[in-house]
This record gives sequence, C-alpha cells and structure tokens, in this order.
Amino acid sequence: MTTPSPHWQMAVDLERCIGCHACSVACKVENDIELGVFRTRVLYHDHGAFPETRRSFLPTLCMQCADAPCMTACPSGAISRQEDGIVRIAPDTCDKWESCIKTCPYGALHIDPVQKIADKCDFCSHRLEQSMAPACVEACPADVLIFGDINDDQSPVSRFYQRHGSELKGLRVERGTRPQVCYRGVGTVVPQAAVDKLPDGRAHDPVDYEIDQWASR
Amino acid sequence: SLTRKVKNDYSRARSVKSVCLNCSSVCGIEGFVIDDRVVKIRGNPQDPNMGSHMTCAKGQSGPTINDYPERLVYPLKRAGRRGEGLWQRISWDEAYDEIAARIQKSIDAGHPERVVLHAGRSRINTEIKRFLGAIGSPVQLNHRSLCSSSKRGANYVSLGDTDWESIDAERCRYFLNFGSNFYEAHQGGLHLVKRVVKARFDHGATLVTFDVRLSNTAGRSDEWFAPFPGTESAVALAMAHVIMREGEFDREFVEHFVNLSATEITDFLKDYTPEWAATESGLEASDIERVALDFARARPTAVAFTNRGTGSHYNGMNAERAVVMLNALVGSVGRPGGYCYGMEEKLRAERYPQPEPIPPKPAVRTDLEDPPEWPLANRWQKMKVGQMVYEYIRQGRATVDVYLSYTISSPMNWPEGRTTTVGVLKDESLIPFHVCSDVVYSEMAHYADMILPDATYLERWGLETRSSPELRHFVTLRQPMVPPPGEARSYADVLFDIGRRLGPEQARYFEFGDHEAFVRHQCRHIPAGDEADSFEWMKRHGSFVDDVPKSYEVHRRLLSERDLLGVRIDDDSGVIHQRDNKGQEQAIGLMIDEGGAPRAVRGFGTPSRRFEIYSREVAEVAREQGIHHDGLPGYLPVPAHVGLPEDRFILTSFKWNVHTQGRTANQKYLTEIVHDNPMWINPHTAERLGIVSGDLVELTTYRPLSSDRGDRAFRGTGEPIGSQQVRVVVTEGIHPRVVAISNSLGYVVSGRAAMARQGPRAQEAALGHKAYGPAPERDDLRDHLWWDKRLGGRGNGVNVNALQPINPEPLIGNQAWFDTVCSLRRVQGQSV
Repeated sequence: MTTPSPHWQMAVDLERCIGCHACSVACKVENDIELGVFRTRVLYHDHGAFPETRRSFLPTLCMQCADAPCMTACPSGAISRQEDGIVRIAPDTCDKWESCIKTCPYGALHIDPVQKIADKCDFCSHRLEQSMAPACVEACPADVLIFGDINDDQSPVSRFYQRHGSELKGLRVERGTRPQVCYRGVGTVVPQAAVDKLPDGRAHDPVDYEIDQWASR
Repeated sequence: SLTRKVKNDYSRARSVKSVCLNCSSVCGIEGFVIDDRVVKIRGNPQDPNMGSHMTCAKGQSGPTINDYPERLVYPLKRAGRRGEGLWQRISWDEAYDEIAARIQKSIDAGHPERVVLHAGRSRINTEIKRFLGAIGSPVQLNHRSLCSSSKRGANYVSLGDTDWESIDAERCRYFLNFGSNFYEAHQGGLHLVKRVVKARFDHGATLVTFDVRLSNTAGRSDEWFAPFPGTESAVALAMAHVIMREGEFDREFVEHFVNLSATEITDFLKDYTPEWAATESGLEASDIERVALDFARARPTAVAFTNRGTGSHYNGMNAERAVVMLNALVGSVGRPGGYCYGMEEKLRAERYPQPEPIPPKPAVRTDLEDPPEWPLANRWQKMKVGQMVYEYIRQGRATVDVYLSYTISSPMNWPEGRTTTVGVLKDESLIPFHVCSDVVYSEMAHYADMILPDATYLERWGLETRSSPELRHFVTLRQPMVPPPGEARSYADVLFDIGRRLGPEQARYFEFGDHEAFVRHQCRHIPAGDEADSFEWMKRHGSFVDDVPKSYEVHRRLLSERDLLGVRIDDDSGVIHQRDNKGQEQAIGLMIDEGGAPRAVRGFGTPSRRFEIYSREVAEVAREQGIHHDGLPGYLPVPAHVGLPEDRFILTSFKWNVHTQGRTANQKYLTEIVHDNPMWINPHTAERLGIVSGDLVELTTYRPLSSDRGDRAFRGTGEPIGSQQVRVVVTEGIHPRVVAISNSLGYVVSGRAAMARQGPRAQEAALGHKAYGPAPERDDLRDHLWWDKRLGGRGNGVNVNALQPINPEPLIGNQAWFDTVCSLRRVQGQSV
C-alpha cells in the first residue's frame, strides 16, 4: 500500500538534546498556548548518586499515533488521523468530553482554557501549509527534532530513519497505540524511569518543571 | 459565540531581519510581523554564528516582551518619596527639559563628571560614549566585573589579542570545560553548544566538565567532576604538570611562541602534582592524570576553556590563566579545532564611522569608573569595578548630580543589592536625581525620580557584532520590526534628544538626526555590491560577513617588508621593535626559525609577542599595590576557604537556560518553566543536618577574608552579612560542601509574572500603572498564573545576590561570586 505524499513524521534524537526548552517555548508562542497547559514539553530527569550523577532530557509531544486512542475514545468524532499522518481535532466538533485526555498514554492533550476545546500538537499544520517546519523543529539548536515527509527518501526524517532506524522506538509501545514519533536513546541516554514519569491519562502537570520532580525515585 | 484562536498566516507576514538581545549572545534573527505585531522570531542563517533558524528559549520568547501587559509606554515622574512607588504621568517635553537642565547645570558648574550613566547590556555603547563625550563626562559605568573581567583579563595576559576566545568547536575533538555552563548560559553559549553537539555526536568528540553543581552542561558531559569551589586552577595546573612530565606538549609551539622555555614551565609546575591537586580539589589523582593525557593526546584539536564557574573567585584570573595555558602547552592556540582568537577587527570604529563631529575623549577621571585599588580593571579595556560604585558614592569618593540608569537592575543583580545598593539609590543627598529607562516597572525604576519608557530590542536600531566560532568577521543590524507602542522611545534616541537640548557646545554633536540616521552613517562603508546602498542592503539581509580567510594562527602571519621598515630586532628574544608616531618603541612581531629559515611573524599581541605564561605586567602592577604576585598563573587558595570548619559551606549561584539575570522574569513562558529557586543541597549534607526536600533552612552568609599576600578583601572581616530562610531541594547534583541558589529570581518589585501574583493588572501590578497602555483583551497573568503562592504554587523564589558580599578579586576586581562562606540551620517545624 502506498500512502499519498506528504506523510509527515518526526524522530527525536535524545543524545543531542541540551534541554534548552527552545522547542516548548517556540510552541507556546507559535500556538498562543495559555500558562499551565502544554502541547510540547521538555522533561528533566536526574539519576545516579553523586558524583556519578547524570541528567537527561525528554522532549514530549503528541505521538500522532497510527492507532490513536484519543480518536477512538472521542464520542463526538472530533479527532481524526488524516492522510498526511497528522492526528487533528476538529475545533467545531469537539464537545469537551475529555475522554481523549483520559485515554492518551502520553499526556499529549489538554483543554484549551480560551477555546474551551481539546487541544494538542498538530505539527504546526498552519506552518506546513506555508512550507515551514513546525515551530519546535525550526527552533532546535541541536538537531534533536528531525522532521519531514517520510515518503520523500531525501527528507531529513527519512535519512534519519535510513541511518538509525533500528535504534528508534516509540514510547509506551506496549499500549498498542503505534506512536509515529520515534525516539533514539530511550533506555540508554534517557532511562526508562524518565519515560515512566510521563503523564498517563491526564494532561501535563505544570509542576513537573519544578526541580523537586526531576530526581529518579 | 465560540472563541477561536487565530493561527499565524505567514502568507501575510512581513519578514524583518534583526538581532536578538534577550541575552548577550546577540544572535541574528528574523521576525515575522502580522498586523503590526511581531508574532514569531527565528534565527537568521546569514549570521555566521547561527547558520540556521535556531534560537534558544529566550530568543523564542522575544515577542512576549513587546506585548507585556505591564509595559511602560508613557514617561513618569515621582510623586511621593523616593522608593514609595507613587508616580504621575508627564510629557516627554517635561522630562527632557528637566533632565537637560540638570545636566547643563553640572556642565556649567565645571563638573560634567557628576553626570553618570550606568548601563548593563545596552548594546548602544558607542551612542552612550558619544553622549557622555559631548557632556565631557568619563563616568560610563557597567557591570563587567560582575561577569567576565577575570576571563577577559586572562585572555589579554596570555594572548594579548582578544578578550574572548573563539573556539573552533566543530573541528575540536576534546573539550576540557572548566566551569562553563555553555549548554545554558555563557556569552555565545548557543553558538558554542550547537557546534559542540555536532563535534560530539557527528565526529566523536569528548566533553569533560568541572563544576561544583550538575548544570545541564555537566549533566550531559561525557564526564563530570565536582572539585571543591575555587580549586579548578589546582586541577588545571596538575594537568599541565602531567602534560609536561609525560612530554605530551607541543615542542614547536612552546619553543617559538611561549615566553617560558619547556624547562622553565616544567620547573614552575614541579610541585603541582596530581596528588597535591587531589588534596586541594577532592578529585582523584588518577582522574586528573588520565584526563590530562587524553586531552593532550587529542592535540591540536583539544581545547581547555572557562567561564564564570572558574573565573568568579578570589583566584579567578589566575585560574583562568592556568586553563588557557593548557591550550598553549598542547599547541592548540589558533589551530583548526583549537583555542582560536583574533577577531580583532570586529566593529572597529574606522570601519563603522560615526557622524562628524565626534566629541573628544573626556580628560577627567573619577574613582567611580577608574578605581585605583584594582589597577588591572581598566588596563586592557574599561572593565571597571561595578561592585564598588555605590559604596564609593556612599563614601563620597565621587559626587553625583545626575544618575542615568539603563539596562541595569542593580538592586537585583548586585552583591548586597538590597542593602548597599538600595541604601544609596534611596538617599537623595547621595544621588540627587535618578532617571531610569526601562520596558517594565523594575526594581531600578522603583528608586528613580523619572522613568522613561524604553523601546524593546525588537523596536530599535543598532549595529552589532560578536566573537565567532566560525572565525568570521561580521556585523549585524538591529532594526525595528514594529514601532514602539504609546510614547515609548528607544534610549539612544532619548540621549540624542537630550543632547540637542543642551548648550550649543554639546548640541552640535547631535545634529545628524535620530538613531536611524546614526546607524545609517555607521553602515556607509559596508560593501553592498551593486545592490542599493549599504544601509538598505543591511536592512534586507541583517548580516554582513567579511570575505576574509578564517583567523587561524594569527600569530604566524608573516610581517611584510613594509611592516619591517626601520625595525630593531632584539637578538636574545627575537622580538621585533618599531617606533610608533610618538617615537616610542613598540614590539610588533617575532623572529622564529622554521626549519632553519628565519621568519618575521606577527606573534601575539602581548608585550613579549609570545603567549605569556609569565606576565611581567601582572607582577609589576601587583607590586605597586603591595600585593605579592610572581606573575605566574599559580594556585592561590581562597583565603576564607582555608581551614573551613565542618559546619560551614560554600554558597554558589547559577543561571538557568531560560533566564538572563534582570531581564527575563516578566516573560511569562520562561518564568512558567523556572520561577522558584530552592537551595540545592547534597543528600549527605541534608542527612547530617536532618533536613529533607521542602524544609526551610536559615542560610547565613559571611564576609570574605584577606590573604597574607598583601591584598585587602573589601570588608574582609569574615563577619556575618545576613540571613534568610530558604526552601531546600535535596539533589545528587551538587558537591557535599556546596549549596546553590539560582539567580534571576526573587523580585520584590516588578510585574505579575516576575512577582508570581495572579489577578487583574490594576490590582496586582499597580506600581507604575499610570504609564500602562490599554489592558490586553486576553490576559494570561490575570487568569492562569499557576505558580502564585496564594494558589498553592511555589511563588517567585529568593534573590540570592542580596546575601552575597561585595567581593572583588584583587587586581582585576571580578566579583568572587562563588566564594561565599555560609552556614545552615534547620528551621524547626517548618516546611512547605
């Protein structure tokens, strides 16, 4: 089966991440996101006893799941995965049931306090229409977020897959969501314990940024 | 009706190239403007330091500054007592009339030096200098000694050519990082980290970091070592010892270009063994030995570098010199992949001319900008000793009539800022007239008599440059993306406006017009090719890169026959001397022997034209001060740390990646990420004290001590400075004898985001409200400021600088931020 071009996809190279938050602030400014709610975040995780302590960073966003549980759970049918690989919420159909939030294993959705509807990352679809990369990808100083059309074998994401495909894996794949954002370095650069701290069935809690939350417990 | 957010429609956007100023890295940027609003910032790839659309989080946050709900957009005049917070709105004419009359009075009284301008990262230094030059005042104060004077001093002593190295990072294969947190801060940190990440993960380079605290840099390095504070130079010297002992140094470079012989260097380093350094630093001798050899064997693509972690100590300049020396030993100085320098042509006045006539340099001096006790502070550039300014004013060592403050928030950022600084700022007999220009109501504005609403960096002009890890000479143009709102006006224009209102002797220097006209004039020599004029070209592209070869090995550049006319060559040293136009003999180069062929090369910009490990200059200047210093970068123990009792700790402070000292706390998306700063403490220490995360601790800090070398620490009594209750966080990411509190937080006067106060603007951010523009339609700070303590949040943290003593290191005056001795006491029954 061939998928129509373009098919947008992202990979995250955790080894390169410097934890700078450029991606998450870029997202907030671009999409005019209120304080306290998040489409994208960079979570910090410290592990190891002094002086062998290490720090790792985990950029998170909507995984644009191939079997998106939010889509199945939405009673209004407001969420759909479209031909370009992006899972989108139809703003005028969303009826604020919040079942999408409860079913997402990645904390990717929240209720937008202004629009009063569910909201999440859509790879900055309005920018893609203007041939611009998503805001987070464009801002990243360390080439952590690799994005493009997976059907174009010369796109950055295709080339990354060609080089590192065997090292890539999705987060919480055991949940059967078939996440389409894949990570390089889970279990090595970023311990599984950091992934385990991702919100599950709830939106991101802003206090996760407080340093008290970083250490592995 | 349904509320829907409007997505940025980039097909309607106007693109404007400019320069960021949310930190001192001054990255080239591109702004997108829709309906007269800056909606988006991205990097400008034509800035060679950027090379892509990247920015940091602060760069992304830029548009929120223009849209601060608490933005000041009208001039204010004090209506109550100073510091009471009562204001009345006035017109610009009224403001200008009073300021100009005050300044004129000082000029007419024959005391132009009583007009003082204090600015931090203004990036309009040329304009400020012109303004003060026209008045005849030399008193342009800054904040450099709070930041980087020991780093700059170390590079000047060693290389002579630059204040700030340009590491050829992408080609480097071994990074030995002493105390720089370039993943988060560090001037030019973004440019450096971009290339270090490439070097590491595309080319296999190694990064080793020394830091007392697990910064993001330390936490993501290949190895992190946490030495006892102030002992980094012991480690660097021991590494040098190993490199010399094992013969892993660059013989050719040392022989030709270092002012000590290999034997002299080995002798100097004789006692600095890894075992000795292990005792001083607490690190393992075997680690020091191993890292030293790994570093040396990666030569010449090996770089040892520093930043504030190593420099902000009593021994900061020596420590930085010891680190820079490692590059000389392994011959990486100036080499591809090495410790490069030589961006000396950046923004030279002749290349970027000002409109004529240009005011002469003021002939008078005062202790404020030229403090005699720190003779190295102004030796290579005007670094000054900013910590002493308020104390000197208090002591009457200089009289001030008019104090103009800009981009400097000294009550927040100064050691003893809440006591010594505020005490002087509040005292009308010491500072009779204070005018502050700012974008928001700041702690500095709070103690002013007049507040002038500034344009943001996205609303004003300026010509910029920066050291370049691409080793490129370049210049960038800051231009307004949108006009400032209300009556806000850029400070350069304000100074020029005031200048025109002074007497004819002063006003004639400002006839060129406004800041745009000034910058247009500065751009006139930029080669624009066949396109338009230079200024229009710069407006379109934002960045001009000089097409000259990369500045590798500037010291090996051959002198031309013309250079060598009438020179005298010293037989012993090989130094080439020439008489300047005043008849003074100057060293201009060096004879070296390359494979039997003598060559006249430029050498380094030092007095010996060599890389100076030994500095006669430093030894002589110290002697004049009665301080013993042998001119070598030897280890100087921090006096207050010698024999430190078990119940005393060292307080360190640090900067987060989302903050820049006094600038960012009101940027909501940045402060949402970091708004609180609990004190980091190691689990072993916490256990000893019986405290856990969330407990309150009373932190008491102590004044420094003088050494027995003849230096005199400012109030070097070791007595307590003050105490404050702070919340602790127990973390494995810190040395057991160190506690850490981040800076940039803990405002007592500011806008709602910085103060962590949710609610209506008029109620929660009432100070300065007479200068606010219209209330925003949507107001996140009214509705969603979740870290407000009253809503169960953590609040806005503490100001760590308030507890820091004024503590300039001897000779150069860099603030020894990271030496402060402290004690901790658990506050019973209290935790949050």
